Amino acid sequence: MTTKQLSVVGKSFQRIESKAKVTGSAQYVDDMQFGPNLLFGKLKRSPIPHGLIKRIDTSKAEALPGVRVVVTGQDFPGLTGLYLSDRPTFAVDRVRFVGEAVAGVAAETRELAERAVELIEVEYEPLPGVFDPEFGASPEAPLVHPDLMDYECAPFIFRQEGTNISNWFKVRKGDMEAGWEEADIIYEHAYKVPQVQHVPLETHATVAQMDGNGKITLWSSSQSPFAQRNLIAKSLGISHSKLRVITPYVGGGFGSKAGVSMEGACVIMAMLAKGRPVKLVMTREEEFYTTFVRQGLTAHIKMGMTQDGRITAMQNTYYWDAGAYTEYGVNITRAAGYSSTGPYFVPNVHADSYCVYTNHPIGGAMRGFGMPEIHWATEQHIDRMATQLGLDPVDVRLLNCLKDGQETVTGMIMHPTGLSQCIAQAAEALDWGKASKPSAPHKRRGKGIAAMWKAPAMPPNPGSSATIRFNEDGTCLVNVGGVDIGQGALTVASQIAAEGLGIPFEDVRVNTVDTDYSPYEWQTVASRITWSMGNAVLRAATEAKEQIIDMVAEVWDENPEDLDIIDGHVVSFASEESIPVKNIVVYGMQKPDGTWIGGPVVGKGRFMPDYVTPLDAETGQGPRAVVHFTTGAQAVEVEVDEETGHVKVLKIVSAFDVGKAINPDLVRTQMEGGAVQGLSTALLERLVLEEGQPKNPNFTDYRIATAVDAPPEMVNIIVEVPQDDGPFGARGVGEHPMVPTAPAIANAVRNALGIEIDAMPITSEKVWAALKAKNG
Amino acid sequence: MKHDINLTVNGELYNLTVESHHTLLTILREQLVLTSVKNGCSEGECGACTVLFDGKPVNSCLVLGAEADGHEIVTAEGLTINGQLAPIQQTMIDLGGTQCGYCTPGIVMASFALLERNPNPTEQEIREGLVGNLCRCTGYTRIVDAVREAARLQRTDMTL
Amino acid sequence: MQAFDYVKAKTLEEASALLAEHNGDARPFAGATDLLIRIERGFLHPAKMVDIKNLPGFRAINALDNDWLRIGAAVTMNEVVIHRDVESRYPLLAEACQSVASYQLRNRATIGGNICNASPAADSAPALICYGAEAIIHGPQGERRVTVEDFFQGVGQTALERGELLTAIEIPPPPDGAVGRFLKLGRTTVGDISVMNVAVLGWPDENAASGASWRIVLGSVAPTPIRAPQAEKLLAGDTSPAGIEAAARAAADTARPIDDIRASAAYRTDMVRVYTRRGVEHVLAELNY
Ligand SMILES: Cc1cc2nc3c(=O)[nH]c(=O)nc-3n(C[C@H](O)[C@H](O)[C@H](O)COP(=O)(O)OP(=O)(O)OC[C@H]3O[C@@H](n4cnc5c(N)ncnc54)[C@H](O)[C@@H]3O)c2cc1C
Ligand code: FES
Ligand code: FES
Repeated sequence: MTTKQLSVVGKSFQRIESKAKVTGSAQYVDDMQFGPNLLFGKLKRSPIPHGLIKRIDTSKAEALPGVRVVVTGQDFPGLTGLYLSDRPTFAVDRVRFVGEAVAGVAAETRELAERAVELIEVEYEPLPGVFDPEFGASPEAPLVHPDLMDYECAPFIFRQEGTNISNWFKVRKGDMEAGWEEADIIYEHAYKVPQVQHVPLETHATVAQMDGNGKITLWSSSQSPFAQRNLIAKSLGISHSKLRVITPYVGGGFGSKAGVSMEGACVIMAMLAKGRPVKLVMTREEEFYTTFVRQGLTAHIKMGMTQDGRITAMQNTYYWDAGAYTEYGVNITRAAGYSSTGPYFVPNVHADSYCVYTNHPIGGAMRGFGMPEIHWATEQHIDRMATQLGLDPVDVRLLNCLKDGQETVTGMIMHPTGLSQCIAQAAEALDWGKASKPSAPHKRRGKGIAAMWKAPAMPPNPGSSATIRFNEDGTCLVNVGGVDIGQGALTVASQIAAEGLGIPFEDVRVNTVDTDYSPYEWQTVASRITWSMGNAVLRAATEAKEQIIDMVAEVWDENPEDLDIIDGHVVSFASEESIPVKNIVVYGMQKPDGTWIGGPVVGKGRFMPDYVTPLDAETGQGPRAVVHFTTGAQAVEVEVDEETGHVKVLKIVSAFDVGKAINPDLVRTQMEGGAVQGLSTALLERLVLEEGQPKNPNFTDYRIATAVDAPPEMVNIIVEVPQDDGPFGARGVGEHPMVPTAPAIANAVRNALGIEIDAMPITSEKVWAALKAKNG
Repeated sequence: MKHDINLTVNGELYNLTVESHHTLLTILREQLVLTSVKNGCSEGECGACTVLFDGKPVNSCLVLGAEADGHEIVTAEGLTINGQLAPIQQTMIDLGGTQCGYCTPGIVMASFALLERNPNPTEQEIREGLVGNLCRCTGYTRIVDAVREAARLQRTDMTL
Repeated sequence: MQAFDYVKAKTLEEASALLAEHNGDARPFAGATDLLIRIERGFLHPAKMVDIKNLPGFRAINALDNDWLRIGAAVTMNEVVIHRDVESRYPLLAEACQSVASYQLRNRATIGGNICNASPAADSAPALICYGAEAIIHGPQGERRVTVEDFFQGVGQTALERGELLTAIEIPPPPDGAVGRFLKLGRTTVGDISVMNVAVLGWPDENAASGASWRIVLGSVAPTPIRAPQAEKLLAGDTSPAGIEAAARAAADTARPIDDIRASAAYRTDMVRVYTRRGVEHVLAELNY
């Protein structure tokens, strides 16, 4: 990295697509027009949580005029999955959760498709279900996947034969006996997190069409166009070159649109639709429990601390309510295991993270990928122990938090990190230690803090690539495979490209994804896009810039070292010559002898981390578990109504170490959005499941935070300790702001009232009940 | 059953034949291809489908298309006049009030209507005025800022 | 959504005839904010939707000669909230109507639909009952009236017989010097369906030992909105802090809530106590006597 002054990176440009969004002209999948040829798809779903399919009769549906396609699992029995291929597109002989697709219909109108689905008869033999992960992990539990060991599986996932455990991640580090011995107090407690839903405002939406050559195009509201192409092509046994995925604007994802959920069903129906396009859009109800949810968690935490607050040992057991299929979830439970200490130095660790099949909706990636759940437990636990010892929770965190060069839970050496600054600055901005006055006699105020860490959780080798091409007027097009799901990926890519090329930000445009034309990107997940795709973009820019400079140097007969591109002009520091790039990036340049060199400039770049190592299956130890950790902290102030239990969050201070803020305002808006999503899950959200039946799959009874529930004040602090292999030192921050919010609020509520809430969410009623219990 | 209706949408008169059970949302999106009007729930909760009905914001998912006969509808497409964005559209851009953008047209319409009836809203009035518009991305702060700023711009405009 | 017919009724007679003729297969509607959702979720399958908004007088608010206020059945919540007479004479009703859902929804949701839907959580009902409002009903047999309190018969059940329509709500003049307070508990702070609600109306009354008479109506804690007569009686006798607390407890004793997805019965009961007390304290502070 040069010390050159940055002119585009580090500035808060408005996002490049915002005008399309405020005028309503930005097109999302369901907005695209396919003409009167379009068929409407609908899925027949299981009404029971667990059972064998005895019979499916589709004849009445097929006989309904206007019905064009009827398909069941018998027609396409292939399995799919990101890390573990355990999931059929349509259930074949067994259903494992309420809402599982058992058949699909495509018809001339939506109403016809709905009617046809009702006409499909399915006979089930109900089986006993698993509705609690701890029970699910026990030997008494019925098996949800008797064929678990037959599935294709990533090498770092450890299934347990004859159980419902599809991954068991272990940490065995240090000497537990010595750790407990050294501790002055030992505290053990259990915490719970329910399944919640991502609630993107745009539900999952797809259209698929097959042409006469058998080539299928899938328009998909997706975070993962390439992963979808890969997984769907593999499960259908077709070539990747026969499947094209196009992703226009996406109305939010938060992880729910990563990997594959219902998209394969749309592709299958299109394959049978004789060339007609088929649209499949989830209703809000379907979105709530048939695509992905966040996994539930029961966490048992045992921690030892010395008198002065030093953590001596930690024993964590996680039972994940991972749902009916864990193809994606297995890796969440792995990430939880290798992050299980939270952002602290703990010499002695014993951790078990069990991914447990249940007959619940499918757990998938959600903003934070396991971290909000495990931090809910550890960040409350630390706080409670600090109080037990009469210590300040901020001091205890500052004492234990990971510093550069310390060993993490898996034995990796911590890279330079601004964690301590984040904790200290968040506390300071909240006037930590100073009580403020409640607004009414029946209200109490409290402050709480929580710290966090999170690494991009992914396979060791997820790749990114980018190309840059110039137009005749000197503007350029950056092609990437990452998706802007609202986080600002397109804008950040533009800024990195502009900076790398030396041209104005306004001259760079970035396309949305089309797998036939966009270069490969693994997935838009794990807060990895700014860092990984950003690296690819910067390399592409660097290559394009070299092409331009080499050409000019040759024509001017100068040393390329003396040339640079500044504000769209190639300038020479030696000769003080200058030429606009627009004159030369397509047509090349004429040499003094009258001949031409150069030609259309095309830069390409790719990036893949090449240093991540495997971890030992028995101890979870290894030199480099992950690429890096983004760290941070949030401090919150709440006011609680002692009579109703209502918690009002007055202020959230967020401080995160982003390495380098490519666009500071985009970083701040991630912090604000993440904090409010965190607040919403903390106070309101739970998918209520009774024997596997969802009871609140609608906004009437699954409430999310509104503008009134959001805090009136949010402060965002950007800490920048550069990432050695990040573009301009950047690392990601998309997920992190929702990780510490819930425990920070819980800690603030405890500070206000002296009550402890073990199970999320902190509803008014729970606070009320806890107060009653406390006051007798 | 089908109905012939006449309605004005974004200032233009349309003659349509609509199904009885189709909502205004469906008709705007599918018959007039005004896709700024989004479907986020079909149940009146999210506000993504907000349009102006005779000048008042409504959830178009809970209005039957046939009911619009003889009425005037405005969608986000209709706020931009001769390429000139409405103040609330401009401030949503300037202050970062949009992320994924799916809630945005509905929020623009609801905010536009809020400022029509209350040109100088307090922060609390803005927040309460937007409870019918869910946004999962922004945390609302920038949206509230954008409404406040649009109010300021409109007031200065009027005094000029 | 399943198919149905849309009919825009032009006269009361036409509407009644349609409803009577189709025997439950035809549904009257105003804002459709309750109805469309129930159709969408598959709970109702009407063949005909009869739009009653345009019937004569259905969208009007009129002061009557006897000093009552008549609110047409299809007047929207927002129209109620901003109406001059409501604002000046029945502010408790304005407060209640303003608490419904969101501004957009209140442009469609009507006061008549709210009580005809007969949800125990109908937010306008407690205020209407406090004021002693009456429902004006038109049917094949002509017009009749019942109190709003009696109009609610059970969850989703009203006093309406087949072929009958609610045409308006009429509210008697409020007692002199009356002050009201509507308090509603939701899970989200604003705009949620009531987990419980309470409307409190107090007015100076020299015949009352405490100097004021009271009306207290509770919502979402029984199959219908209910009055809390014992609490009303206690307050007429004593509005000292202890008296208020006793009345609040009496109101809580009157509540017969259930456990459901929104809250437990125990929580609702205690919230009746808290909100009744807060409502009474607020009213008391504003009462002039
Ligand atoms: C998102 C959302 C939020 C809501 N929040 C609230 C809330 O906070 N508080 C609250 O109280 N309610 C709430 N509701 C419920 C609803 O909006 C109200 O009950 C509203 O007042 C109903 O009025 P409407 O005109 O839309 O009724 P409609 O749906 O038109 O009718 C409701 C019922 O009454 C019948 N009906 C209507 N008019 C007549 C008439 N004149 N004569 C005979 N029968 C008639 C209909 O057949 C139907 O059964 C909410 C609804 C939604 C969708
Ligand atoms: S789609 Fe109409 S309010 Fe959500
Ligand atoms: S910007 Fe995504 S929902 Fe509001």
